[in-house]
Amino acid sequence: MARLIEKKLSRRRFLGLSTCALAGVAVGSQVKVLRALAKTGEIGEVTTLPGKDVFTSCGMCVNKCGVIARVRDGVIHKLDPNPHFAAKSRAMLCARGNAGVKVVYDPDRLKYPLIRVGARGEGQWRRASWEEALDEVAKQMNAVAEKYTRAGVMFASTEGTFQEHFFMQLAECFGSPNTVRHPTLCLSSNIQGFGATFGTNPTPDVLGADYIIMSGANRSEALITPDSIDMLKGDGGHRKLVYLDPRFTKTAAKADEWYPIRPGTDMAFILAMIHVIVKEELYAKNFVETMTVGFDRLVPHIEPYTPEWAAAECDIPAADIRRIAREFAAAAPKAVYYQGRRSSFFANDTQMRRAMAILNAVVGNWDVEGGMLPNRSIALNKHDYLAPWYDDVPGRLDEGAVTYLSEKDGSWPIFRDRVLAGKPYPVKGMLAYKQNVLASVPNRAKSLKMMEQMDFICTIDITMSDTAWYSDVVLPEATYLERLDPPEVLGGIVPVVAFRQPAIEPMFESKPCLWIMQELAKRLGEEIAETFDFTMEEHIEHMVQANPKILEDLRTKGVYLEAEQPVYGATYGQPLKTKSGKVEIYSEKYAENGLDPLPVYTPPEAVPAGKYRLLVGRHAYFTHGTTANNPYLHDIMPENTLWLNPREADRLGLTNGRLVRVRSAVGEETLKLEVTEKIRPDSVYLAHGFGVLSKGLTNVYGKGGCDAALIEEKTCPISGNVAMHETFVEVFPA
Amino acid sequence: MKNKRLAIVLDTRRCIDCKACTVACKAENRVPLGRNNYRNWVDEEALRGAYPNLGQSFTPSQCQHCANPPCAHVCPTHATEVNPDGIVHVVDKKCIGCKYCQTACPYNARYYNEEIGAVDKCTFCAHRVYEGRLPACVETCPTKVRVFGDINDPNSEVSRLLAKYPSRVLKPAQGTKPHLFYLI
Repeated sequence: MARLIEKKLSRRRFLGLSTCALAGVAVGSQVKVLRALAKTGEIGEVTTLPGKDVFTSCGMCVNKCGVIARVRDGVIHKLDPNPHFAAKSRAMLCARGNAGVKVVYDPDRLKYPLIRVGARGEGQWRRASWEEALDEVAKQMNAVAEKYTRAGVMFASTEGTFQEHFFMQLAECFGSPNTVRHPTLCLSSNIQGFGATFGTNPTPDVLGADYIIMSGANRSEALITPDSIDMLKGDGGHRKLVYLDPRFTKTAAKADEWYPIRPGTDMAFILAMIHVIVKEELYAKNFVETMTVGFDRLVPHIEPYTPEWAAAECDIPAADIRRIAREFAAAAPKAVYYQGRRSSFFANDTQMRRAMAILNAVVGNWDVEGGMLPNRSIALNKHDYLAPWYDDVPGRLDEGAVTYLSEKDGSWPIFRDRVLAGKPYPVKGMLAYKQNVLASVPNRAKSLKMMEQMDFICTIDITMSDTAWYSDVVLPEATYLERLDPPEVLGGIVPVVAFRQPAIEPMFESKPCLWIMQELAKRLGEEIAETFDFTMEEHIEHMVQANPKILEDLRTKGVYLEAEQPVYGATYGQPLKTKSGKVEIYSEKYAENGLDPLPVYTPPEAVPAGKYRLLVGRHAYFTHGTTANNPYLHDIMPENTLWLNPREADRLGLTNGRLVRVRSAVGEETLKLEVTEKIRPDSVYLAHGFGVLSKGLTNVYGKGGCDAALIEEKTCPISGNVAMHETFVEVFPA
Repeated sequence: MKNKRLAIVLDTRRCIDCKACTVACKAENRVPLGRNNYRNWVDEEALRGAYPNLGQSFTPSQCQHCANPPCAHVCPTHATEVNPDGIVHVVDKKCIGCKYCQTACPYNARYYNEEIGAVDKCTFCAHRVYEGRLPACVETCPTKVRVFGDINDPNSEVSRLLAKYPSRVLKPAQGTKPHLFYLI
């Protein structure tokens, strides 16, 4: 039995270092805790400042899960999941979300503006005042505009902060059409292929589905809420999951069936499924008749795509393909071929998505429980401004490069090629907001060349990313836990509105994006400054003007939603957003643009002898190239390894754990070898986010290899998306 | 807390080895940085089968809050104590850092915390539990592998699960009577 000992508690001990019942006292429950303490051990005079719990949304990845920041004594003690956020994040928080506290209290944080003094990439900086740094950025932007027109300044950014639109606004008001965003490194082909079929990129109702087929979407590691969670719904996970992946991932470990499909042959598998379903008349006849166009053309089109043919392409037995097709059709409409959110791996990705969409369409899973649901949204007032008009500014640099180019997003690989060529015109200034170009765009050497030819580069970020490391001016942004961010609609089956409010004041000299944009705008001229003449509070008020309850709920619950449950069937009886108003199995639009109106299979390039196909993939511990340096996450996985099948390792005489060199046509990286059965013998894999160039990332610098340095950037000609799996590498002992 | 027996029931069929529990615990309990400092973790079990027929399980583990805790029996200073509700904890002021308990624990659930100069381990987040909140790992788990509660209460979720499904404990032959129950 514990004896009561009178003792004094230091604040640090009180905040959770003790192993018996101490720490984290919420206001009002102190008495209860003290009583409990008296029961369990020693107790002394406890004094503490009142704590506060702050509703906000996570900023560690694309999901924006609901978070409650527990602030004690002015310090964010812990980030807990927000139970009110059940519709989207299912009241959970992943490893990255929990590691968010270390984003704020990270010794590697950017603390004040920096101006480069040595050569680019040397890492010689001097501390500058905001005044000086902002003056310099504005001066350089104007100098580039003066010399090369306003289109000579490019704006690279990525989503996530809820403040990216201010950066985009600056680009527009400054007068540059050249904004380059993440979608062409991500899912633009997905949006294109499904959009061409359904008029939108729908969301699979994973919670309602009984049968899920997944290829190339590793949902147990590339976490997407709520899909990753719903996939394992019920005791022990109650649904059937068929998973195709050249790697045995954690999704494979949870799947009912795993097939190590030959990379790049997903379309063959899907076409063979359609073949079986159409030939055996297992499709949803009524739906096909009333809601689709072009089915009659699909019938002869799929004639040659038999399971036997696909078996040879995919390395999946014909009998299994046939059985899966039948099971899928039998489970329909509560059956989805899951497209989710994933990057694109081959140049034919858009057409592969078309095949996926068509398969979903023929089993009639459109807009029903357990099927493919159109995304819903919640209306917010749009932030309007009148951008100044400039004469003599050319159009986008990558204009006309692909069939469907997003005006706002561009196509990263093509854009970069044109910058390097200086054609149709030079781009000599670069502003990067949050996007880590050197880690996320394939073929790093090319990105470095692109940056080398810039007269001026400024990066806004929270840590010294590789891109910041090669910049001229680096500006520190306040982290997501130190900012007031405008409401953002997270669309989906059950849409929610999220926002952020600061848990603590911004540390050091970091500032929110809006402030940085406003200060730059002031320096760039009155006309631009006028469009930024508002405070964040006014901006937020304006957005929720039509419905003040949004803000009220955000403040009291951290989330606003209009319905807790999905809505099914709202599109029935309404025309879809396609040309015909129906689901387009055969795409007239594609035919008019000289594209295949029905997906035609072309096999991937065969792996040359002595080489391996390089695969990319995600981890549940990291978000792309931004979190590998986080101390908590670094503890879990300090470096990446090259996966190689034992059969091949034996052939090469390489043993587990030794250093190897991996060489592609565009780069070479050295990292440790992991000999594992979890990968096809013709492929190798390494995790993303390692092999960094920046010495400002102290935990991860010098650890592992960088996939972006190895990948050659083939591009999808329809959407402009990069193809991440069209690179072959050789492996040598280091 | 009288007449309670706290426990965690784990449905590892849902575990995706995402490490949310591990990081949540480190943050909640100020576990020092470093790969060898942990109060809880997830083990990747050995691959089953051979390519292309593979299987793998993931097993979260931590202090098992044993009813017969060898760590407490061997401690020369009686630093390891057991609460009436079954929570096993270390009184760090009494701990002299001899690490005998670390050796005695069959679950490798204890580590030496340099910052406090004492052996440290999972406490079921007693400080949260006694406020009526859930342990950090249980609350944060994405796929809800973990369920926490009182097995002496027949109406609790843990009791319901244990009644409904067969379960196992880790290393039963050690006779430690662990209170983490893994559903089969």
